[in-house]
Amino acid sequence: MDFYLGLIQIIGVHTLLGLSAYCVLLTGQVSLAQAGFFAIGAYVAGMLTVLAQWPLIPALGASAVVAGAVACAVGFPALRVKGLMLVVATVAFGEAVRLFFFNFTYQVQAGNLHLGPHGAEGFRQIRYFPQNGWSTFDVMLFIWVVVALVMAGLWWLDRSRVGTVLRAVGEDELAAQSSGINITAVKVSAMTIGGVIAGIGGGIFAHYTTHIEHAQFGVVLATFAIAYPILGGLSNVFGTLLAVIFIQGFLIEGLRFMGDWRNLLFGGLIVLAMNIRPRGLLDAGAVQALSRLFFSSKERSGA
Amino acid sequence: MDLLDLIDAVQSAADGILFGATYALLGIGFTLIFGVMHKINLSYAAASIGAAYASLLVLAVIKAPAILVFLIAAAAGGLIGGLVYLIGFRFIPLANPLATLMSTVGLLLLIDEIIVHTTAGVPLNYPALFSDVIVRAGPFGLRGDLMFVFALGCVCMVVLLLLLYRTRLGLATRAVSQQPTASKLCGISTTQVNVLTFVITGVVGGIAGAMTGAAIGMLSPLLSLPLTVKGLIVTVIGGLGSIPGAIIAGLIVGGLENVLQYFRGVSERDLYIMLLLFAFLVFRPGGIFAMPTGRD
Amino acid sequence: MRKVSIAMAAMVAGAALAASGAASAQERTVKITGFGAKSGVVRVFGVNSEAALKAAAEEINKAGGVTLGDGSKAKFSIDFLDDRCNAEEGISVVRRIASSEAFVAVGPTCSNVAESLFGILQKKVGDASDSGLQFPIIADVAAKGGLAKISEWAFRNVPSEFEMYKSLMAWVKTQHPDLKTIYGGVEKDFAHSNATYGVMKAQAEGNGFQVLGTSEWLLNDTTFSTQVRDMKRANADIVAISAHPFTTCGVLKEMDRQGVKPKLLIGLTSSSSIETLQGCAKQAEGIIIPTSFAPVTPEATKAAEQVAKFGGSADLHSAAAYEIMFILKDVIERQKIMAKPDTVQADRNKMREGLAALKETKGLLGKVGRTADREAIKPFLYVHAKDGSWQVLHKPAT
Repeated sequence: MDFYLGLIQIIGVHTLLGLSAYCVLLTGQVSLAQAGFFAIGAYVAGMLTVLAQWPLIPALGASAVVAGAVACAVGFPALRVKGLMLVVATVAFGEAVRLFFFNFTYQVQAGNLHLGPHGAEGFRQIRYFPQNGWSTFDVMLFIWVVVALVMAGLWWLDRSRVGTVLRAVGEDELAAQSSGINITAVKVSAMTIGGVIAGIGGGIFAHYTTHIEHAQFGVVLATFAIAYPILGGLSNVFGTLLAVIFIQGFLIEGLRFMGDWRNLLFGGLIVLAMNIRPRGLLDAGAVQALSRLFFSSKERSGA
Repeated sequence: MDLLDLIDAVQSAADGILFGATYALLGIGFTLIFGVMHKINLSYAAASIGAAYASLLVLAVIKAPAILVFLIAAAAGGLIGGLVYLIGFRFIPLANPLATLMSTVGLLLLIDEIIVHTTAGVPLNYPALFSDVIVRAGPFGLRGDLMFVFALGCVCMVVLLLLLYRTRLGLATRAVSQQPTASKLCGISTTQVNVLTFVITGVVGGIAGAMTGAAIGMLSPLLSLPLTVKGLIVTVIGGLGSIPGAIIAGLIVGGLENVLQYFRGVSERDLYIMLLLFAFLVFRPGGIFAMPTGRD
Repeated sequence: MRKVSIAMAAMVAGAALAASGAASAQERTVKITGFGAKSGVVRVFGVNSEAALKAAAEEINKAGGVTLGDGSKAKFSIDFLDDRCNAEEGISVVRRIASSEAFVAVGPTCSNVAESLFGILQKKVGDASDSGLQFPIIADVAAKGGLAKISEWAFRNVPSEFEMYKSLMAWVKTQHPDLKTIYGGVEKDFAHSNATYGVMKAQAEGNGFQVLGTSEWLLNDTTFSTQVRDMKRANADIVAISAHPFTTCGVLKEMDRQGVKPKLLIGLTSSSSIETLQGCAKQAEGIIIPTSFAPVTPEATKAAEQVAKFGGSADLHSAAAYEIMFILKDVIERQKIMAKPDTVQADRNKMREGLAALKETKGLLGKVGRTADREAIKPFLYVHAKDGSWQVLHKPAT
């Protein structure tokens, strides 16, 4: 049981990572910097709970604010670059963040222990959960409350005019601008929201792995971050969730019985998925088909 | 800073610039793919290293000279390039750039895993040409094998430019990249052109992988990710689609790496490169030699 | 007629099943799950660990198996899970193992996984306010210093690099009194190399060597000309490299190119493997590395052969896994572990107590001491690369 709860925890945190990239992808920007914001959230939240003895929720709030602020700062220069160049610029930024933490040491003495981030060795003993008696179930519940809130927020945003504006910028920037949409505001806001979500996700990540180091927040994590929304489809937030379940639940844990073949299948199945469903697992067509399945009876009875 | 330090700094820069020839070769391939297909092939560096690994297979059978191994790497690269096109691009509609981005990520993971599975992740020795040659110029020494790689890069550039601007295939390639629909109307087979482009860039990639292996002396699966990042950096700094730009950018990145390392040490070296890159992209997004852009 | 023959067949089958059921009731299996990295550049560690665990299990099974708490004998069976050197996956794998009837797990390979993993374990036994996992883990490969301190449920059978380099530096000082200066090289972003370099440097200074400087590089660097030039300028008698085979070979090749020939070369424990020789046997000639495994005793030679049979190679890391199986057998028997579905948590507690109570275990090179910190003090010797293979240079007296 513990194992499944742990897996659900991982799916939750990775959904947050995926959603942070989803926001930015809606506006047509491919951002590989989400792992950087994730890292900032992780270190900030970890330092606050371990070194400053803050409770968890304020620490996560702080990490969200800091990550969001950095994302906002990145959003402005990112406006000037498009396409492949934005990919490279965001990779560069994400790596710069990782390298910053590679060099970052801030240790505090507590008895005969040294606490705090220690450069290349990372930041160990972020034991807020076990120290405060949180069981695996408690942590999972907490993570999913956060994920549900974020998903609900994004869903509502999508349904409102904001969502339309975001997608309009994503589809055709020139047309959107001609309609009077402030492209700068939209893109930077999307980047900021993405940063906030990544910050929260990173903060939780630090606490459930108890040890964070620079190497975890590299290009590979950044690639996973955009893989989730692209694989899942950009029509709605559930696509990202589905993709996370597919990758973490099925490809990583579910295929374990295949032993060594699992890793080969990992890459292979992603390629296959993109060939079969280029718009994602849950693209607009699939959503329509599903809604017809569930809601057609209502229509028929109403007609 | 005394004379000795100055000499060391210049030597570091020279070493770095020469090593940058390997980045240049990789950048040529990346920039060709982007220039033609307007799509990012993130599996390119992994495929290049994979081609180099494949060329080692021949050594398991016969004791071949280094040149033969390099040629086999080039051929393997071409083959892998064709396969990458087939699996990652052929069946995905052009209107989905994100899907091809993801499919090439999947290919990168696949190629990496194949390498790790066949070699257990252990670093393998790679043959080198002119590895013992050091050209002395006063207090400076220049690595002969890296100069060979640089010369090879220049030859590749000349051949590719000739191919692009003096042959029918090159004409077709440029036509497809600028106006795919119009080219089809003119009777150019888009698929054929794309396959050929991927094969040619694959050959360049195979050569790049072989040269990288020869310059380091070893191959390791550790190489694919950093080379992907460096290849992208070089492509972007040089200007998307510009072959001479890729070469110059490769040399610059190599030299800058070493110089920054000399002055600030290895922990901060990459940090400065990344920040410089970010700044460069913001202030000169077109790269050094920006391609004349079409409608968008 | 056919009905009778079917009935006869059914009876024979039933009897056979009953007989085998009775036989298998006497032959139980205890599954021990190992986990580690079987992906990426560290795949070879996972492959070797798995082979070593299986080889040791076969040896134990051939000798009759392990005696459980109720007096019955059981055979070991080994399972190995891949954590891809990823902390989240490592935690997930251990949770998976802990959700089964297992009472111990062997691993991980990577120190960063161990950091996170030991962090989610209960820190102090009996602390009811600590909701950490209560499951004993014994590490075979993760070698970064001080990890077992993180939790009382964490144990390690890895060599103490502190002891090894302390002894090596002292020995070098006595053997080569003419060598006075040392220059270091370190793979800065690999926790193990970085931490061990700290040890190398401290021990060098502690034994009267003058450290002239240190060159740094990253684990996937490909060019070392700047670092080696600094090394050349320093012109130290000894060069100590704390890096894994890929960059160690890269640096050694560059040293060859620039004509840097120190009088003595010292390397990192993990580089005393076949990888270094495959990459740069010529340039690595003469490098001295302390290791806790070499086929110098009959047990060690036999173990090496056995591990090779299972597709792995025996080196200081996989030898630790091999030894762990015997340690587990010992603890199971001493603590009278029952290995039944209803005794799972009790068995885990017993395993932990048993491991903690050990003062000494049997290693392939001799007796292995155990510290209060749940670490191992392993006998070691120095090997050097000679003619393309690792040969014993000196066996220090314990």
